[in-house]
Amino acid sequence: MITLKKKKLPDAEIPTSSMADISFLLLLFFLVSTVIDVDTGIGLTLPEFTPPEQQELVPISKDRLAAVLINENGDVLLNNEIIAIPQISKTLKPRIESKVDQPANKKLVVSVKTDRKTDYNLYIQALDQIKDAYFQVRSEYAINRLGKRFVDIDERSEEMKEIRDKIPITISIAEPEAIKK
Amino acid sequence: MKFEKKRASTKQNIPTASLPDIVFMLLLFFMVTTTLREVDVLVSFRLPEAKAIEKIENKRLVSYLWVGQDGRIQVNDSLTQLNEIQKIMYAKRVALPNVIISLRIDKSSQMGVVTDIQQELRKASCLRINYSTLLKI
Repeated sequence: MITLKKKKLPDAEIPTSSMADISFLLLLFFLVSTVIDVDTGIGLTLPEFTPPEQQELVPISKDRLAAVLINENGDVLLNNEIIAIPQISKTLKPRIESKVDQPANKKLVVSVKTDRKTDYNLYIQALDQIKDAYFQVRSEYAINRLGKRFVDIDERSEEMKEIRDKIPITISIAEPEAIKK
Repeated sequence: MKFEKKRASTKQNIPTASLPDIVFMLLLFFMVTTTLREVDVLVSFRLPEAKAIEKIENKRLVSYLWVGQDGRIQVNDSLTQLNEIQKIMYAKRVALPNVIISLRIDKSSQMGVVTDIQQELRKASCLRINYSTLLKI
């Protein structure tokens, strides 16, 4: 009798050795193609809108007001003195520092006013200088009084609240004057 | 006498069978965490640079507004007119009360358009804004 021997089939296997390579390629593709863009910028809170007829003028004493005026030629006026934009920070810092221990209604108010034709970039540079002055005062306060670096303090901690109370960032954006014709 | 080198009897290859699994895990992590850009920016803009900047931690609160070099304004994924901003932004504010409007304004713009936008935002009571800037090095 002839024995019909069945041919033995080789083991059916999916080759998985290149799987790692394929998935690495996919991984690399995702790593390269995705943009993790962190939003950075200068934060600001606008005042609430009140119609012009309801607006009230609140007098602010001269010593707590720092008025920054930027005209269309890029000249900067800080309390009626012409200064350059990189000097704003240095000029404001001592004034902020002198008001750290004063009550909330005596803190410095920085008012920024521009013309309609002022360059946006200049406005941002000026705002940056003002913020920078505040941040410097805040970080010095954190080191001198709390013994910590400002960046190490937690957002929600009591210490951060204290800093915010002592050195509030009050920037008032004045409406630009209409160009006189 | 025959000398023979001492060898460990265990196999010396690194087990790579679980490598694809590990890589797939990484891949999935990246696929889940990264948010793809949802809108096409239709205006061309270059952001100003600044030093004293903050990061916006919570990305879900952010809503963008672009102003291009040519002064065109884009909200969401379409160009808009100045007088439509209030309506759009008010709807956003109702949907998300603590929305932050990130203003991506070209650095060669004039303050006039910026102020007009701010006035519209104030009318829509979207008061938290952020001037988007790059880090000056």
